[in-house]
Amino acid sequence: MAGILDQRFDDDEEEDDFNPEPEQGSEPDIDEKPAANGDAVHDLTEDGDGVPTKAKERDDLEVKDEDEDEKDDDDDDAEDGIDGADGAADEEAEEDEDEEDEEEDEDDDDIEGQPSRKRRRKHRRNQFIDVEAEVDEEDEEEPEEDDDLPGEEMHPDDLQELPPGADRDDRKHRELDRQREAQFHLNAEEEAERLKERYGRQSRNKGPTGAVVPQQLMLPDEKGPKIFRMRCKPGKEREVVLNIQARILERANSREPVTILSAFERSKPHSSSSSTGPNPMAGMLYVEANRAEEVIAACEGINFVFMSHKPMMVPVGDMPALLKTQKEKQLEPGMYVRVRRGLYMGDLAQVHDVEANSTDVTVRLVPRLDYGLNEDVNAPVEEILPNGQKRKRTKAQVQRPPPRLFSEIEARKKHAKYLSRQGNLSGNTWTYQNKEYVDGFLIESFRLGALQIEDVNPTLEEVTHFATSSGEDGGENLDLAALAATLKKSSAGEFLPGDRVELFRGEQKGVTGESVQVYNNIVKIQVDPGFGSLSGKVIEASIDTLRKMFREGDHVKVIGGSKYVDEVGMVVRMKDDRVTILTDAEQKEITVFSRDLRVATDSGGAAMDSKYDLFDLVQLDAATVGIVVRVDRESLRVLDQNGMAKTLLPSAIANKLEKRRTAVATDRDGNEMKMDDTIKEYSGEQKTGRVLHLRGNSVFAQNRERTENAGIWVGRHSNVLVVAAKGGKPANAGVDLTKMNPALGKPNGGASPMPPPQSKGRDRLIGKTVKIRSGPNKGMIGIVKDAGAEEAKVELHAKNKTIPVKKDMLALIDPDSGKIIQGGIQSLSMGKPPPAAMPSYAMASGGGGRTPAYAAGSRTPAYASGGLSGGARTPSWKQDLGSRTPAFGVGGQTAYGGYGGGGGGGQTAYGGATSYGGATSYGGGSVWGGGGGGGASTWNPSGGRTPAPSGSKTPAYGGLEAPTPGLSAPTPGGYQDQPTPGGFRDQPTPGGFRGAGGSYQTPAAYQTPGGMMPETPGGGGDDGPGYD
Amino acid sequence: MSSSRSLRACMVCSIVLPQAKFNREGCPNCEGFLELRGSSDAIMDCTSPVFEGLITLADPEASWVAKWQRLQGYVPGTYAVKVVGIVSPWSK
Repeated sequence: MAGILDQRFDDDEEEDDFNPEPEQGSEPDIDEKPAANGDAVHDLTEDGDGVPTKAKERDDLEVKDEDEDEKDDDDDDAEDGIDGADGAADEEAEEDEDEEDEEEDEDDDDIEGQPSRKRRRKHRRNQFIDVEAEVDEEDEEEPEEDDDLPGEEMHPDDLQELPPGADRDDRKHRELDRQREAQFHLNAEEEAERLKERYGRQSRNKGPTGAVVPQQLMLPDEKGPKIFRMRCKPGKEREVVLNIQARILERANSREPVTILSAFERSKPHSSSSSTGPNPMAGMLYVEANRAEEVIAACEGINFVFMSHKPMMVPVGDMPALLKTQKEKQLEPGMYVRVRRGLYMGDLAQVHDVEANSTDVTVRLVPRLDYGLNEDVNAPVEEILPNGQKRKRTKAQVQRPPPRLFSEIEARKKHAKYLSRQGNLSGNTWTYQNKEYVDGFLIESFRLGALQIEDVNPTLEEVTHFATSSGEDGGENLDLAALAATLKKSSAGEFLPGDRVELFRGEQKGVTGESVQVYNNIVKIQVDPGFGSLSGKVIEASIDTLRKMFREGDHVKVIGGSKYVDEVGMVVRMKDDRVTILTDAEQKEITVFSRDLRVATDSGGAAMDSKYDLFDLVQLDAATVGIVVRVDRESLRVLDQNGMAKTLLPSAIANKLEKRRTAVATDRDGNEMKMDDTIKEYSGEQKTGRVLHLRGNSVFAQNRERTENAGIWVGRHSNVLVVAAKGGKPANAGVDLTKMNPALGKPNGGASPMPPPQSKGRDRLIGKTVKIRSGPNKGMIGIVKDAGAEEAKVELHAKNKTIPVKKDMLALIDPDSGKIIQGGIQSLSMGKPPPAAMPSYAMASGGGGRTPAYAAGSRTPAYASGGLSGGARTPSWKQDLGSRTPAFGVGGQTAYGGYGGGGGGGQTAYGGATSYGGATSYGGGSVWGGGGGGGASTWNPSGGRTPAPSGSKTPAYGGLEAPTPGLSAPTPGGYQDQPTPGGFRDQPTPGGFRGAGGSYQTPAAYQTPGGMMPETPGGGGDDGPGYD
Repeated sequence: MSSSRSLRACMVCSIVLPQAKFNREGCPNCEGFLELRGSSDAIMDCTSPVFEGLITLADPEASWVAKWQRLQGYVPGTYAVKVVGIVSPWSK
């Protein structure tokens, strides 16, 4: 018996891939089988009250099966294919038998020691069970080939194993569809008639517990009532039906009752809930009646029914389709869906919970939050630039933040007020802006219609997002079952003949082979050697039970379903259906589903189609931009504005920034810096490079000689110098302005010449016609295409060639006449010669500033032109003096008379004082000198008295000439402010006066020469008369 | 009948009634074993607010729709083509 068991097991493996193995124990006890079966049925019918209708129907069918069994025991082959559910023709059944026989023969041939004869005999003894099972197989495996095959019920044993109330809805509906299709090929009426005759005598329970008729027997016939289609307002279908119902009740006992038999609608209650797109049944109302007039009578006056549309009769054949129900994919927690609209459009979401009404679904999403960063960036700018900003703002809203797990730290930065922690057990639940975040995921509720349920096709990278962080154990927790449920739809077509496959489920689990034929969901596999009796045989398997198999070292290509599409590499590891491959391109390990792989011989990936190109400027977040320095298949290396290079997924990049070719910035020296200008770092490594992007305060430059970051470096505007503008014109080359101390330049009174003005931008030589004056190309004429500091590229007229020539060797010529323009090159390349003007002279008219200018020795022109101050004064002083001299003279103080010239002399005496040291230079001065000398002699003997007033004046003038403005200015001022010259007269010694003078130096009240100037002559004038 | 808000469909016979009516009168077809009358819990367990396709049935015996939908023998009324939900196995 054990041998039989084993053999049967094999047999089942081969033929019965899809049905669970029937209970082993009951199989050999053939005689007991019906009894056991009957018991089961009995049980089911007993608690039939509690089970849903579907199950109940099934039970009832089983009851019928039993009946048939009893009958069919007598009949032999012809009838045993028929049970209550399938209305198979007798021929069909016979065909089945034939096919079985053939199969049996095959089995005999192929499998040694297969006791199929024995089994066959068993068939004879119990036709029902085995025949039934085999019909089942035929139908399942080759549904298309056996289109006419009647549908079958579940095997009684299967039924037995199922718990009451188990959901077999889908299966049942499929059966019904198939049955209906099959039935259309038969003459239903005849068949029904025949079967009715045969089984009509069976008593059926009426009411809730009975009335189960095989559906194909209920197909509408021509004699029955018709169904008419009416139109109504879309969305109001239910209301219309309810209104008709109300009317039926209302008129039930009236004179003219509503005579329709039924009315129905098939619109989807939530048009959004249909994942299959628009609602084709919207606005349709179906009324079952015998005549169209009845329909009109029933619908007349009912709201929302469009009576303008005449009732249209539905063809009898189409009637069942109107009541067809489609099994909708049931969402279950853990499954993956996509969001159809809104911020998360297209994002993968994991079903977290399905509400009881199955229209609201709570999903987990990777949030796309900017934590208010964008808002704040925009807000201040908006005030400044209301118009331009408006546009920008909408743009900013369009670019959605990249998906990242929720971070309370980020949220706290700006939006702490929106953030609150949920007092939850898990502790990682946050409420932020009225949305709930658990473990970094956003938990949000969607209407079913807002979710895409079919064709989700999650990629592994998306799934790992959810997988890695969903497990409390911290480990990777990839819910393969959920994933498989999501992926099932798309799995068709993943196998191709020639693929190595492995059965990972079912009784043949572990069997490997090569697929030889693929149709629909069935793959025929040639089993590898080493699997016992299966070896070398061709078996069939559903793709549900298969996965592709690879061996380590296989060279494979990713063919779809992941971001790694077209990547080629070598398999290094396999775990379940996840395969890790080492890519050829980057020598990096990636993990993909085996279904996405094929063995490939080609190498190298196809062209990458990253959204971002090398050297693109990209926005990383609101405050950060970066430049792409490497583009990998799925990642980018980006150098940000702070000089940090990081590797990012494209999804982490907000958007690409267009290159602004017209962007202009200023470098450290304030020079214009544009795209493609050559710049140099001012400090640090003094990197040079060509400007690629200017953004904010950063400049991204490229130097092809550098290897780091593809030669890209980033600098601040204030830390770079433009070395050459585009086109090669040197900017400030050779002159380092910063080396000059401006403090030195000014006291020198412009003695150091101003640097020649820089000519910026394009070299003006470019485009000019030149003649080469010397060298191998002497005499050639050409046009300057480009000009550098010393060299120019000249496109020769004679040869089609551009050669570099030293600028010295060029002569500018007039393109028309061909004559050399002398000095043309210099004038173009150097700009104007420095002006001779001495700025400090111009300023000198003030006085204080001018004094050192005199001392500087450049005074000559100052004397000549700067008459305003010293020059003007000198004569006036003389005049004053002259006028006074006689006055003094009149005063009897001869010595004083000599003073006129002696102003200087007095000063000389003063000159002994160090502070007047500058006066000596004055002494060397032109006009004054002579007078000074004379005065000195008179002054000295004049003693303390007379010289005092004059002395007070004298140094005043002298003070003007003193080199130190600070000193000179106050000195006269001080004297003039002195209220009493007499006080000076009283001074016994000039030394005391000197001391006083020294003390007066400090107050710099009269540093402004303008203030002093008028006073000086005035003072003199006043004094003069005073002395008189 | 006017408010379609609280409509529920019996998961056994798929008759559609307002919840209140289930509570008041029970399911006209299945009351014998579902015993919905007056029991909100049973109503919650055995009826579903999610259903699709609404049929008003005037003559269950003559109607093909009723036959096809296996509604023959039930009382006239409103039925659903498809009821979403599973009767919990422990509810009686």
